[in-house]
Amino acid sequence: MNIKRVIGLDNLAGDYAYARDPETGYTAARRIADQWVSTTCGYCSVGCGIEIGVRGNRAVAVRALESHPVNRGKLCPKGLSEHHTIAAENRLKRPLLRRNGKLVEVSWDDALGAMVERFRATQERHGRNSLGVISTGQLVTEEFYALGKLVQLGFGTNNFDGNTTLCMSTAVSGYKLSFGSDGPPGAYEDLERADVVLLLGANIADNHPILCQYLEANPRKTLIVADPRVTKTAMMADLHLPLKPRSDLALLNGIAHILVRYNLIDREYIARHTTGFEELVRFLDEYPPAKVCEITGLSEEQLHKTAFLYGRAQAGFIGWTMGVNHSTKGTETVNAICNLALLTGNIGRAGAAPFSITGQCNAMGTRETGFTSSMPGYRKFDDAGDRAELAALWNIAESRLPAKRGLAYPDIVEGAVGGKIRAMWIIATNPLVSFPNQGVLRQALADLEFLVVQDGYHPTPTTELAHLVLPAAIWGEKEGTYTNSERRVSKVNKAVDPPGEARPDFDIFLAVAERLGCRDELFPGWMGPGDAFEEWRRVSRGRLCDYSGISYEMLAGRGAVQWPLPEGTPFRETSRLYEDGKFPTADGRARFLCGEWEPFPEQPNTEYPLVLNTGRTVEHWHTRTKTREVPILERLSPEAWLEMNPRDAGRIGLRSHDRVDVVSRRGRVSGVELRLTEIIAPGQVFMPFHYSETNANEVTQSAFDPISREPNYKQCAVRIERKGATS
Amino acid sequence: MKGLPLLESDLLYLSPDLTPGALVRIAPARHMAPLRLPEAGEQYRFHFDMTKCIGCKCCVVACNEQNGNPAAINWRRVGEIEGGHYPHTQRHYLSMGCNHCVEPSCLNGCPVEAYTKNFVTGVVEHSADTCIGCQYCTWNCSYGVPQYNPARGVVGKCDLCHNRLSDGMAPACVQACPEGAIAVEIVNIAEWRADYLAANAPGLPSADDSISTTRITLPADLAPDTGRVDTQQIRPEHPHLPLVFMLVLTQLALGAFAVLWLLDWTGHTARLWISALASLALAGVSLGVSTLHLGRPVYAWRAMRGLRHSWLSREVLGLSLFAGAASGFAGMLLFDMPGRPLAGFGAVLLGAAGVMCSARIYLVRARPAWNSGYTVAEFFATALLLGPLFVRATGVSGAHWIAWAAACGGAAQLAAQMLKFLWLAQSETFELRASSRLISGQFRGAFLARLGVLVAAGLVAPLASGRLGVSIAAFALALAGEWLGRWLFFVTVVPKNMAAGFPARAKVAA
Repeated sequence: MNIKRVIGLDNLAGDYAYARDPETGYTAARRIADQWVSTTCGYCSVGCGIEIGVRGNRAVAVRALESHPVNRGKLCPKGLSEHHTIAAENRLKRPLLRRNGKLVEVSWDDALGAMVERFRATQERHGRNSLGVISTGQLVTEEFYALGKLVQLGFGTNNFDGNTTLCMSTAVSGYKLSFGSDGPPGAYEDLERADVVLLLGANIADNHPILCQYLEANPRKTLIVADPRVTKTAMMADLHLPLKPRSDLALLNGIAHILVRYNLIDREYIARHTTGFEELVRFLDEYPPAKVCEITGLSEEQLHKTAFLYGRAQAGFIGWTMGVNHSTKGTETVNAICNLALLTGNIGRAGAAPFSITGQCNAMGTRETGFTSSMPGYRKFDDAGDRAELAALWNIAESRLPAKRGLAYPDIVEGAVGGKIRAMWIIATNPLVSFPNQGVLRQALADLEFLVVQDGYHPTPTTELAHLVLPAAIWGEKEGTYTNSERRVSKVNKAVDPPGEARPDFDIFLAVAERLGCRDELFPGWMGPGDAFEEWRRVSRGRLCDYSGISYEMLAGRGAVQWPLPEGTPFRETSRLYEDGKFPTADGRARFLCGEWEPFPEQPNTEYPLVLNTGRTVEHWHTRTKTREVPILERLSPEAWLEMNPRDAGRIGLRSHDRVDVVSRRGRVSGVELRLTEIIAPGQVFMPFHYSETNANEVTQSAFDPISREPNYKQCAVRIERKGATS
Repeated sequence: MKGLPLLESDLLYLSPDLTPGALVRIAPARHMAPLRLPEAGEQYRFHFDMTKCIGCKCCVVACNEQNGNPAAINWRRVGEIEGGHYPHTQRHYLSMGCNHCVEPSCLNGCPVEAYTKNFVTGVVEHSADTCIGCQYCTWNCSYGVPQYNPARGVVGKCDLCHNRLSDGMAPACVQACPEGAIAVEIVNIAEWRADYLAANAPGLPSADDSISTTRITLPADLAPDTGRVDTQQIRPEHPHLPLVFMLVLTQLALGAFAVLWLLDWTGHTARLWISALASLALAGVSLGVSTLHLGRPVYAWRAMRGLRHSWLSREVLGLSLFAGAASGFAGMLLFDMPGRPLAGFGAVLLGAAGVMCSARIYLVRARPAWNSGYTVAEFFATALLLGPLFVRATGVSGAHWIAWAAACGGAAQLAAQMLKFLWLAQSETFELRASSRLISGQFRGAFLARLGVLVAAGLVAPLASGRLGVSIAAFALALAGEWLGRWLFFVTVVPKNMAAGFPARAKVAA
């Protein structure tokens, strides 16, 4: 005990001292760094430029990278405190192997030996595809590229997918079907240059706050936000469409109906660049305004206003996120969004784009290079030409490339329950919080013979179940690139050494390859991420996602560069896809696709009368593995809450701050703090999913989009009880 | 491009330095800092644009980083307000640092002159080195701006990052805001004093208390029922146990010396000095213990610096003088010296003045449940109840009027407490009604026990029996009851504050 402190002679003035520094100005002395390392934020896919202040081997501060084109000197609250994630107490420092039921520290040598031996043994006994690998959107592109080769060619299993299937796979599927390829066509700048911005199921104020400044800088725009909840983003809107849960597909079809009926369409664009228009027009007959308004709960005035605003826009932008994607009709909803853009020619021009606002910092990188739902470079498994081309680039037999995609994430989990998947490798994701219907997942993981979890932190709910935990370096401790929502590639740099024996995922993948004996074949002469990037440049050459003109040197100089940038073409600040109206389909035309609206799968009834919507809050990132380590973020959002309309609460005698249980057919979330609020519609409730202590995914359902395999997180039927009322 | 005037006020912006290679775009206003110092009659202030705020709390995080504060201390906070009905719901956010008031109540209350209002910039500055951690400023501010840091033993608050301003840099919150919702501008103080309506907003206490200078731009179509979302759960305040202990015992000493003075004056001669010395000892100990309430007890001596404006300084002076005069009177009793009626009267007068100063400390606008005559009544009723009971319990006199005096004290306290509760419960002021809800809810048992003790030990016992044993028991019980009552006084006050966010548990992450 500091006696001088107790009597007051000492007021810890030293700890709270300020200092002046030419880099930071006058600030808390403990934030003053010896050097600043520029990198890219490791949370969401906005892709903000950020600098880490380093003193010794410690990250003491962060600040926005002023020269970065994306974030214009700003960061969100997670970015502003990101350095606190690095030296967190829960960082995993050594490999842990389960012996006699307990995780004990082992050497890397033992850890990798056990991993390869067990995976090999399982594969020998149950077939190569009995190994499932769940990746992430959190690694650098170079790691995704290496991991894809390692899993598909080294381990030889195609049951490989990422947590991106919980997040953006719907956008991927939708783009592929409508345009012939994945790839968000627009750019952030479009938010600033559009005169009508329609956001669907996208609460960017909470989830991508840095994008809001693009809207703020656009004085001409009319902002329309379609969301059943009065989100922070809905409050920014000129026109909020409080539609019924998952009626978005009907809304989009209804808008298309009005566009066609009032000839607010670009017939020339349609004729030159699309197919399927006639069929679409016939299909849209089924979506007259009266019917659409009944489905969506909107007024005909709201519907017409929206359609006319978008139809008459010089440049109309449609942005969407999880409200659209997290749906069993997600892919068709994305197609319906693309339909609107194609009908009005709102694509490939400044301000005009259908645009998926991606989730994770490098979900885009894994989509392009990852070898999960497609082969690197948006190559199709079922295209013999693509296979031959890739095999030639890699100098391998074409037969080693799978001719079809393996199991998607939910199907790998289901496969584990059925015994088809016997071993699993989970990398940088935490399904024990994020996967829907946790009961099934727990069963799946319990049935595994060997589970390897690779993470920067321990314990997480997922590492606790592992047989082997591999300690990975995290953001700030390794090098590579991220690609953001607008296809902009940014450099990620190392500021400090990883703690203990933690290693960059890239090194881990190469070490595993070494053990497998395929390092020289798959990664010849590779020393670091730069080698992977150079190979990726070659592999992506000529593809839609062409990186061949991008180099680390260029990224260091320009901060961030959008693909496609074929080698030898001039650099452009902002690029858009499909500017020439040519689409990567067989006939070069985009397709109109007809997606029939259907009610969401689990409708409320008397036993489960409310519709649960799940989502996020600005203070936390996904499963909170990182943000729970940041005291100020925990302070600002310490626990989950359940939003309920007072009209519903009155009926069951509940009040704000009561502790309630959320009960569905599948499970129960116990002791959530109730918030009575008019933010949420009567008949609906909302809770954030970040919190493992009160995990919303105990009650969400196993219903998946048939094409993208993305879960229908946003709607399920629940009832709310006072805590412990039944059990 | 320098000195581009924007808005109708005197706000001037520095243009952002454009790094080569960066895109030239309409950047939202950044580096928002006035280019000049305020002139005579002017000061700096914040402008907050509620129409732009998206509730991202970047300002809060940036402020904590800037000032190296632990997570539990937030010199800038973001509150949430809500109004209307679905789907015409409105939700808005309030971001607030210090309002750098024209009449800063923190400064007026401070007993050690730790606060200064900078005569050039108008920034209300606080010195952590001068501060002794009495936390009186935290009771005085209607917005909850000064926050006590128990690790340091001192208070801290937003200083408008004036050290950054003087270097031509924006405050941390201003710089961090992605929406350009916060700015620093220059205000003419006389004009603002004449019309400061723009300092008010739903979710904020009235700017009347101290004339906040923060200008708030409100949305044009704010729903009439827009208000705080944090009012459904009322948290008890800190009990300040050393103060509970000290207040009751100094009041006891006042009552005891008043009784002893009257006894002595009316010719009672038996060993009054025993009682006098005993009560003096209690009061002395309590005054010593009260310094434990300070974050920095060793600097308690500084507390008389603010005599010109701080009731806390005056309390320290008043109670010290009372202790001196009472010691003198006790000595005169012990050595049977002449002139005691006058000396005793002087001691009682100083004691009454000291207790009055004590009470005045709590009469602050920021704590409505304290800011009434009931506080004065409660403190003097404690003196009237415990003083006579104490003298009886020391066995120096069995005079019947002492028992009646105690009963009067008990009755007065009982009446004061019940009337105060009715006043709180019937009030339309949120903080007062919230206090009554704490008393009738979470603290109902304690409140009823206190009333019961007042009846038993304050009314029935002194009138029913003169036996020493009963007197001692009655005194002990009444003292415990008053301590309980004073503890309730502290925990059930609901301070004015700005709207907070919804989360009920302000979980403090290390």
